[in-house]
Amino acid sequence: MSGPNGRIGYRQAEQMSPPPAARASDVAITRFEDVYEVDPRLMERWVLQQTFPNWDTLRIMHSRHDHLAWMHRHFAERVVSGAELLAELDAEAPTGTTEAPDASPSEGGSP
Amino acid sequence: MSLTADALDHVVSRLQGVLRADQVLTSKADRFNRARTPAPFPVHRWSERVPDVVVLPESTDDVVAVVRLANELRVPIVPRDGGTGLTDGAVPLRHGILVDVKRMNQVHDIDLDNRTCTVGVGINMLKLNEVLGRHGLIYPDNPASYPCSLVGGRIGTSGWSLIGSRYGHTRDLVLSFDHVLPTGEVMHVGDGVGGNITRSSSGYQLKHLFMGHQGTLGIATRATLKLFPKPEAELSPFFAFSDYDTAHRCVGALARAGVATFAGAVLFDEWKVAYLRRDDEAYIPQPSDVKALVCTALYGWEDEVRVGGKRLLRIAREHGGRYLGDEISEGDWAARHDRYATPLHGRTRSGQVVPMSWHCEDASIAYTNLPAVTREWHAIVAELRRRTDVFDDWGMFAYTNGATGIDYLTEIDVGIWEQQLGEEAWRLWVQAKRDIAAVTLRYRGSISACHGSCREGEVDLVPEELGRGYGVMLDVKRALDPNNIMNPGKYGLDRAYEGGGR
Repeated sequence: MSGPNGRIGYRQAEQMSPPPAARASDVAITRFEDVYEVDPRLMERWVLQQTFPNWDTLRIMHSRHDHLAWMHRHFAERVVSGAELLAELDAEAPTGTTEAPDASPSEGGSP
Repeated sequence: MSLTADALDHVVSRLQGVLRADQVLTSKADRFNRARTPAPFPVHRWSERVPDVVVLPESTDDVVAVVRLANELRVPIVPRDGGTGLTDGAVPLRHGILVDVKRMNQVHDIDLDNRTCTVGVGINMLKLNEVLGRHGLIYPDNPASYPCSLVGGRIGTSGWSLIGSRYGHTRDLVLSFDHVLPTGEVMHVGDGVGGNITRSSSGYQLKHLFMGHQGTLGIATRATLKLFPKPEAELSPFFAFSDYDTAHRCVGALARAGVATFAGAVLFDEWKVAYLRRDDEAYIPQPSDVKALVCTALYGWEDEVRVGGKRLLRIAREHGGRYLGDEISEGDWAARHDRYATPLHGRTRSGQVVPMSWHCEDASIAYTNLPAVTREWHAIVAELRRRTDVFDDWGMFAYTNGATGIDYLTEIDVGIWEQQLGEEAWRLWVQAKRDIAAVTLRYRGSISACHGSCREGEVDLVPEELGRGYGVMLDVKRALDPNNIMNPGKYGLDRAYEGGGR
């Protein structure tokens, strides 16, 4: 495990000190890119928020991505990009009739 | 009621005479773990639904021996496959013998020339497709429980597939199967005599009768399935809309487009988007003006998918759809193959997070009736939520049932705080199910597109949906199961017997 100084090692204090939270919506916060948490104020009575070391939070996220990538491979040899097809549609459109660009993908969104 | 101790000893002794000792389970953990199916389950009444004994057959002959014994001793018997069904087919309402088929999970044969395979019904589709993938083939039966449901359960429930608009649903994909009748006789169900015939006009067409019976007409043991080339390419674009009605028009246009590789289209309503935005990280950053989503999926050879995909993308754009980007589109679609793995929680009315289990009420609704049914179903769940924090509205989906866009599997997802369930909340829930089913029938739909309709509440309206057909159901049940041993208590079929249920 690599610490912030690049050395191999595990520092309890580092792992248990997540980056500061930024508000993602009125009910969610974010501390790592692509990782969203329920606002801790909503987890005070019936379900209490758990504390994870940073590495475990990131492991869970990466595992989820691995799982979804596996599922794609399981059902088809490859995935066609919708963005690529939309770009082709734009290129095929006669000059002057190109439609307005689509909304860009959400910043930091992850399945 | 459960068997008495003496009667149970006798049943277990007789079962051990036809099966090995390790195939007969009687411990509390073995029985309680096979008592329930996904939520909502009346946990306050769990002990009322526990089998007396569990058996693990490994062959059709084993199943025959157990069923004959149950019929001789007049003991209820319930088949159980993955236990993932949403209408309690695998729940032993009258206790008795539970037949867990998971050990019948062999791939017996793969016929590459005729594009079929023959399997034990205890195999899971994901595991089967790992084997078939080595041959460039796929068995495309794809429920939300794909990683954990079994072929036999798909037969017993006549399952619905996420990509059924392209490949067909379970009843189209299962060609034939060996089926043990309630009397212990073995019947081969399907066209022709060889197991791999797809079309026959000989005699009555019985296959549909023996699919979707929720275990009330016997136990499938071995099935021959139709295979397809594993798709070379997949495309699953998601689009955002500012209002439901525009999204509804878009999903209809996509489904009616006649694209050969079209595997399905899905409409997410405003409540669903709100739920995803609060609970699913993929949607949290979506702008607040997103009120509905539409996705579509295509499978096939890449050249076909690209051409068909461009046609559907053009249609979505013409309807004002805003593309959500590759990451969310691809990630959300992949997650749809595995909805049972999603950790769930709901909210109290004050916004606090509570542990909830998931349930969805489903129906088949004609395209033009989707908006009205959506409004009325939400009103029913809103009334539930007004009365108690036990229930939470998690929104609605509508999935195409087929390639031409006639009708849709329509679902409302309801979070249920099972730990807080009691008799009063359960009564409210059952009444809500009855009300939801009544709306469906008022809009000329079917109470269920894929789950079945034998839970409390909805089951009361099945005779209304089927009309004279329900009387035929009673006649068939009585003729095939003269002692009402096979999954008694389901679908109101006890009324087929004088004196009601046992």
